[in-house]
Amino acid sequence: MHDSEPTAVILAAGEGQRLRPLTNRRPKPMLPVAGKPILEYVIEAVAEAGISDIVLVVGYRQERIRTHFGDGTHWGLDIGYVEQRRQLGTGHALLQATEKIADPFLMLNGDRIVDASLIDMVNQALTGETQTPVISMTAVETPREYGVIQLDDADRATGIEEKPERRIDTSLINAGVYGFQPAIFEAIRDTSTSGELELTATLSEMALESPLETIEYTGEWLDVSHLWDLVEANASLVDERAHDDFDTTTHIAADVCIDPGVQCGPGAVIEGGTSVGANVSIGSNVTIANSVILPDAVIQSGSVIEDSVIGSNVSIGANTTIEGGETTVTVGESLHSEIELGAVIGDNAEIGAGVTLESGTVVGTTAVIDAGVGTGGRIGDDAYIRRA
Amino acid sequence: MCGIIGYVGEHSAGSIVTQGLSNLDYRGYDSAGVALVDSEVVIDKRSGEVSNLEVPDSDATTGIGHTRWSTHGPPTDINAHPHTDCTGEIAVVHNGIIENYDVLKSKLSSHTFESDTDTEVIPHLLEAELKSDTSLREAVQAVVAQLEGSYAICVSVKSRDEIVVARDGSPLVVGYGDGENFVGSDVTAFLEHTQTVTYLEDGDVARVDDGDIEVWNGNQKVERDVERVEWEAEAAEKGGYEHFMRKEIHEQPTALRQTLSGRIDISAATADLDLEFEEAFLESIEEIQFVACGTSYYAALYAAELLERFGDVRTSVTIASEYRFGGGRDPYCTLTVAVTQSGETADTLRAIRRAEAAGARTMAVTNTLGSTVTREVDETLFIRAGPEIGVAATKTFASQVTTLALFSVFLGRARGGISAAKARDVLEDLQRVPGAIQQALDREREVIDAAEKYEDSRSFFFVGRSLGVPVALEGALKLKEISYAHAEGFAAGELKHGPLALVTPETPVLGVLTEGANPAETMNNVTEAQTRGADALGCVSSDTRFRTLDVSFSVPDVGVAEPLVANVYLQLFAYHVANLQDRPIDKPRNLAKSVTVE
Repeated sequence: MHDSEPTAVILAAGEGQRLRPLTNRRPKPMLPVAGKPILEYVIEAVAEAGISDIVLVVGYRQERIRTHFGDGTHWGLDIGYVEQRRQLGTGHALLQATEKIADPFLMLNGDRIVDASLIDMVNQALTGETQTPVISMTAVETPREYGVIQLDDADRATGIEEKPERRIDTSLINAGVYGFQPAIFEAIRDTSTSGELELTATLSEMALESPLETIEYTGEWLDVSHLWDLVEANASLVDERAHDDFDTTTHIAADVCIDPGVQCGPGAVIEGGTSVGANVSIGSNVTIANSVILPDAVIQSGSVIEDSVIGSNVSIGANTTIEGGETTVTVGESLHSEIELGAVIGDNAEIGAGVTLESGTVVGTTAVIDAGVGTGGRIGDDAYIRRA
Repeated sequence: MCGIIGYVGEHSAGSIVTQGLSNLDYRGYDSAGVALVDSEVVIDKRSGEVSNLEVPDSDATTGIGHTRWSTHGPPTDINAHPHTDCTGEIAVVHNGIIENYDVLKSKLSSHTFESDTDTEVIPHLLEAELKSDTSLREAVQAVVAQLEGSYAICVSVKSRDEIVVARDGSPLVVGYGDGENFVGSDVTAFLEHTQTVTYLEDGDVARVDDGDIEVWNGNQKVERDVERVEWEAEAAEKGGYEHFMRKEIHEQPTALRQTLSGRIDISAATADLDLEFEEAFLESIEEIQFVACGTSYYAALYAAELLERFGDVRTSVTIASEYRFGGGRDPYCTLTVAVTQSGETADTLRAIRRAEAAGARTMAVTNTLGSTVTREVDETLFIRAGPEIGVAATKTFASQVTTLALFSVFLGRARGGISAAKARDVLEDLQRVPGAIQQALDREREVIDAAEKYEDSRSFFFVGRSLGVPVALEGALKLKEISYAHAEGFAAGELKHGPLALVTPETPVLGVLTEGANPAETMNNVTEAQTRGADALGCVSSDTRFRTLDVSFSVPDVGVAEPLVANVYLQLFAYHVANLQDRPIDKPRNLAKSVTVE
């Protein structure tokens, strides 16, 4: 037992390469969902679980995180920072917090939205008799994309297998909320590794010696692994908010989240599942559905945008169409089919007037597409697409 | 400048007053002190940092504290406030200047003075006025009647569980708690305890105890508005960064979104600024005079150029301390605009009073709700940047320029200076400034590399033309303020009329080479310096390229706002040069955040 509330260490140093181009200029935890960054949901859940001391492990594009969260007073929290200079794995990230930790503590991932009840359950288990790490697990439909947990007969974990390629007979995966004793730091340092220092490697080694206590969780659990997950996560979280119509000619659906300072021209329609960031300008007769519009974007008259993510400070010319619906998207070497995605436009890109983008288009940061172009697929950062 | 905090309540005054002093330390100071008051008055005061204080153990629940920025007498332990009378029972802290202290002191020949300060006459005058049957409030009123100058005074006396404060010319605010009350020179002194406050007015004397706050003006008890401060205490803490300055540089996109929010009306092609000047007056304006100091002066220079272009109006920009209402002007066709972040800048207040006295209409452009300047002018335009703590102004410059750019469009439309189409272009450019500044911030690494390369240079020269001139001046000011390096900014054309003599291979030249700053001509001047061996750094519009530059920072296309975005690179350059040199960036030597003495 320990007398004070534990500290929560949140890993937020990662880049999120699979989410490029949106992570070219911001770390993955700062991707906005329904008007606020993913990391803010995590931090609010930690606060709701009654924990007020937070250490953020930051690295890639850390200024975005420091500027947004400051020292945490706005949330009634005490937020400190440690820096992971190079991304050498989650175990290495956690080691950076060694100096700030003296007692049992919680650890979370800054890019996964979890409910306060899960954090509370792990905290309860941590304050109990156990001296072993506490791990949390949840059932998902695609377990092979995550760390799959093997259990013994007493529901204790005997191992975590990252993204197994073999057939598996469980849907339980690592939910990413942990309770640790300070001894974990020594265990991480003792983990044999050929490359990056992954926390799950350490935990698997520890589980071989003595199985780990587990918490099973069935509540909300949102992970944004791919660009299209962002559209879906946004739609699922936006539904509790609302916004009045700008005037009698505009139509704003009930489940739309609009930040201050947005301008909206006559006849604009914003359909459900959409969030619009600060200082965005929406022209007349624009239609936006099921999309995420980041701050400072400008969308000119008559454009239609569905199932899309429009980056910060993007400009979209008049009468441009971004078609939504089901498509197939290639990420690296893997093909993902039956994906609902219009387009993802990287920050600061300029899309001309009358452009048509096919579903599944990904446009890089600061790319330029000339007026009248019809295109699709993956367009690189700084690319310039002319009309043929 | 100097800071005041006072507390009456049920908790330990020592810790609350000391915390208040730490909150105020952003104003800049060279000495600090506290007085804890119950059946005795215990004082600790020293030159140097608040952390040097050894606040005595005391159960006192009444206390006052002060951070001093020296005007009369050097920063010594003795000259630090609080000051006391001969009995040591009356403790006083004071901001401002008592101009007739010589005369008053000569009348107090039977009293023993210890310090060189003008302040010390106040406790001795109080000693003479305060009899057992007079209230402290009446005694203070009798004393302030004898004072000439500007002041905010805070007094506490042995065995009286009350504080009395008086203001004339220096800001004072009182805060309402539950079973406790506060006084401060500004709200940051006690913002973590209460956000419910009253700003006192000139001539006010307030008596504060743990239950009530009563305000008197002359022989009348008066009711002053109780306001709620929207700033959160958190916003005034360093949070997340090594220095406030870097935090504030990075806050610029957010600050500017607030500045712009709800003010751009694209379909009417104007800015909605809630100003109540009647249309006939706007049309009749013959001259807009700006009065300002320091960085605000440079923001005014930028604004004046925009007003001449879009507002169809003659402008003048005067350093506030040099201002007088000059000849040949019709005051009834003149608008004098005071630009002051704090709203308390003494030089600027004096200038705006002169304009008012001459009969001109007046407007303030400020960041601070309830500040003195807002009560002295006809109209106020808030820049909405949020609190700025670093002594070196950064985000408030960006918000000042942006607010005034909106004003130039507003005035241009009211006077027919620009077409609706042109106004719309400018408004759309302004709307894109937050995103453009974010792009500059995303390239901070390039600036750090340049700072590492040039940090040891002997001098730095900043040049620009047109809208690039104020930015060159501001870039040089930032660098000298926080890094102590020698830096000069000037119009690029002036280079060969003198400063070129100083150019050597050890003096890099930084050019503002964006749209709105005549980049090609400026580049010619930069090349003149390069010919003398100097390295050249430039902030360049993204669609142009100057191949001969040694370092080039890219500025997105935002029209007349491009020099403002270029300024973000210069802020980061100044910050990183100073940081590499380990300078006390948030509190540069000898400087204060708001300069409330003339």
